[in-house]
Amino acid sequence: MNRKQFLTSTLAATSLALVSAAHAADDTVKVGVLHSLSGTMAISETSLRDILLFTFDEINAAGGVMGKKIEPVVVDGASDWPLFAEKAEQLLVQDKVAVTFGCWTSVSRKSVLPVFEKYNGMLFYPVQYEGEEMSKNIFYTAEAVNQQAIPAVDYMLEEGIKKFYLVGTDYVYPQTTNLILFEYLQSKGVPVENIGGGLRKDSDGNVISAGKYVPFSHTDFQQIVSEIKSFAASGDACVINTINGDSNVPFFKEFAAAGLTSEDCPVVSFSISEDEFRSLPAKDLVGHLGCWNYFMSIDSPANKKFIGDFMAWLKTTDVPGIVKENRVTCSPMVLSYDGVYLWKAAVEKAGSFDVDKVREALESGITFEGPNGKITSMKNHHFIKNVYIGETLEDGQFQIIKTFDQVPAEPFLKGTFE
Amino acid sequence: MIALRTLLLTFLVVLVSGSRSFAQATEAPTDDVRSVLTDLITGNGTEEDNLARLSEFGDPVIKDIVEAWRVGKVFVSPGTEPDTQVALLKTDDGFVNIANGQAWQGDPSVASVNRASRGLRKQLSRLVDVLDLASPDLSKRADSAMKLGSGQSPDFLAELQTRLPKQTDRKTRRAFEEAIAISQLANGSTAEKIASLELLGERHLIAARDFIKRMREGYTTDETPDGQLILVKADAALASIASFEKKVEFYGTLFRGLSLGSVLLIVAYGLAITFGLMGVINMAHGEFIAIGAYTVYVVQNFFAAHFGEASSGYESYFLVSLPLAFLVAAFFGAVLERTVIRFLYKRPLESLLATWGISMIIQQALRLKFGAANVSVASPQWLSGSFDANGVTMTYNRIFVIIFALVVVLFTWLLLRRTRIGLHMRATMQNRAMASGLGIPANRINVFTFAFGSGLAGLAGAFLSQIGNVGPSMGQAYIVDSFMVVVIGGVGNLFGAAVSSLGIGMIDQSLQPILGPVMGKITVLIGIILFLQWRPGGLFPSRSRSLDD
Repeated sequence: MNRKQFLTSTLAATSLALVSAAHAADDTVKVGVLHSLSGTMAISETSLRDILLFTFDEINAAGGVMGKKIEPVVVDGASDWPLFAEKAEQLLVQDKVAVTFGCWTSVSRKSVLPVFEKYNGMLFYPVQYEGEEMSKNIFYTAEAVNQQAIPAVDYMLEEGIKKFYLVGTDYVYPQTTNLILFEYLQSKGVPVENIGGGLRKDSDGNVISAGKYVPFSHTDFQQIVSEIKSFAASGDACVINTINGDSNVPFFKEFAAAGLTSEDCPVVSFSISEDEFRSLPAKDLVGHLGCWNYFMSIDSPANKKFIGDFMAWLKTTDVPGIVKENRVTCSPMVLSYDGVYLWKAAVEKAGSFDVDKVREALESGITFEGPNGKITSMKNHHFIKNVYIGETLEDGQFQIIKTFDQVPAEPFLKGTFE
Repeated sequence: MIALRTLLLTFLVVLVSGSRSFAQATEAPTDDVRSVLTDLITGNGTEEDNLARLSEFGDPVIKDIVEAWRVGKVFVSPGTEPDTQVALLKTDDGFVNIANGQAWQGDPSVASVNRASRGLRKQLSRLVDVLDLASPDLSKRADSAMKLGSGQSPDFLAELQTRLPKQTDRKTRRAFEEAIAISQLANGSTAEKIASLELLGERHLIAARDFIKRMREGYTTDETPDGQLILVKADAALASIASFEKKVEFYGTLFRGLSLGSVLLIVAYGLAITFGLMGVINMAHGEFIAIGAYTVYVVQNFFAAHFGEASSGYESYFLVSLPLAFLVAAFFGAVLERTVIRFLYKRPLESLLATWGISMIIQQALRLKFGAANVSVASPQWLSGSFDANGVTMTYNRIFVIIFALVVVLFTWLLLRRTRIGLHMRATMQNRAMASGLGIPANRINVFTFAFGSGLAGLAGAFLSQIGNVGPSMGQAYIVDSFMVVVIGGVGNLFGAAVSSLGIGMIDQSLQPILGPVMGKITVLIGIILFLQWRPGGLFPSRSRSLDD
């Protein structure tokens, strides 16, 4: 071995060693997934875990983010809100994740918010929510009220609906949304007596709650449906439904049994997506409406490819606990998917994984062409998206009947309508 | 947008003039209707034109196709010639070409489902309403009259008026009169308006309430004597409707209270036996309810697979599943009694922990077998729907549960009071040692009683599948209510359980309209706590000579 040969080989050896060392430490970036994988919310939230893992695999197969592979850190919030905060702290302090995708309920988001602010983390939140919040550490790919409830009401007004009955589960999202809708409907000239469900006022006479509320897992809707029947007796009425979870089953069963149909009195639901339909009697919901930023039935090449790739991934994945049969895609899933790609684009634009730099990039406006059309980040940490209104079909899918193109999100709506 | 409105308006006028010539047009050959329908479905020509042409016909085939279109049974497929399409109707045995009513021989894989837009469907449903004015089904006739009247269009008013004298049935005639009155509120002369208000007030028609209010607003500033008179009449009509609404509300609450009470009763009755009579604090009661509900689900799927979902055989699945739900739950109850409960009769507190553990095991087993998501159970046709009893909506499934609860209570009473085994059961439950000393096979009686209680829980689950969720943890929603009913009624007293469940149902439903569902429920619970402070033994405390009590 002459000198030159020796030099080259040692050089090669050291560089190889260097590369492999770097591979272990620097060639991956840790990303947190914070959803409930057990407890009441698991039914909805595991779908989001699945879609996130799929997205990471897709990105990794295409070369990763700035050459680094995504290494998911999946933790279980277990439908337990204080536990969500603990798990968030674990992700930020112990695992030092670059970004976290997670939360479903508003209360889980509110629980982790101070943690993300304290450690300057970054959270992408994908599920429709009530607004009235804007943290510098959270990006809301979710539907804001003016990207779901308000377009839906606009559509009903356009259809000639004159009376609106508000009903929901008793917690922050329905209460806030209905209060905003109450103001909005009045601003559109709908008189108070045409807004059904009842009002609650504080001692100064200000309305603090509009609509009818039921506890979680409520099963007896006789009284409410009879009220709706009388309310809708003269026609031109609709129901704005923010009932959450499995209470929708007894509600729609009672509704159908009382002889009310989607022709006489359509129900617009904000919490029933394709995923929820897997356990609902679709027969009782045919013809009623839904409003989301994505429907599985969107007829575009991007969406077809997305659904095809996801289904193919489901077949091959070996992650334990993933349901493989009868899977569908829905808005929260696609908004999770969009979130990952938007974060990736922002990282690439900033040229860094640093939270402050990525935030700056996102605030400057990042665009991604997703399965649900173009989605662009805004300075207020929300996103410009398409809004779709769909009619329920007997197979649990939606037929899109109206599209609002590129609606910018406005998180603060309370008190803005005259 | 404005252009679209004008188009729609013109179309409606055309539609109406079409409906006027309805009587002469009935003779038109069916083939033409079919070709117009095909044009409408395949989008050949403009929608307005096709609808206007369609309104010339009074053919029942329109109704069938419109209904099929609504439920996604209309398909289109490329025709044999280029740029043409064939409209198809999907039936149980293949496709039918709508254009000629013959079976279609093309390739089913190229046919794609076609759907009418919401707007078009609305227009079509008005068309169908006009057709239904002559329907042989009298209730349909009345319905469509009301719908056309509520549209308050002057053209339909004329249509209704010409048809009124032909109505011989009393109910249909009333519906026509009411529809005409509603329409006249907007279209009639002053005298007609006053007459309409009088009629609607007299008939206290809730459906007319909003129309009267809307019309009244137009006269609030009218100083003329006519205007004043209309105001007075409108107020009188509204007052009459409001007092009728109060009455309906009262009887409605009574009915809803009775039905909620019956639901509580069948849910709690099994527990009244396993806990009340046997003294087992049975936390797995809810899971026996779930087992009953899942039995219905399995039977439903079996029937759907064997008979097809449209057949009359399928419709009877629920009747078959009722006894099965009882037997399956009873079987699991018997197994549980033999393996766990029988060791715990003397230790009620341990029975609480053991049955709680069992409830979790059953939940998890259901989850593993059927998945964590809820499953959907469809109601048979004869249990869905409702009828209107003088303004009060009575749904068939609620009437069913009231009768069902009555039968369960009666049957249990007969079993316990009028049979030999009932006597043995009562004796064993009062004092196991003494009963077996007198030659009663206490062990067998224990199994039987526990299985019977579990079976009743299964029956409850079978019914609950018709009004609510079927899921692995569905029982949890009912376990608290069940214990509540049994404790209030007086532990060990079946009659007490019946009274307390009806009482709780009634109070809950009467409070709901005033306080809302959330506060209503809280108030009921507070009331129950206070009641138990006052009478710890419940409504009907059992008296016994045993020193423990």
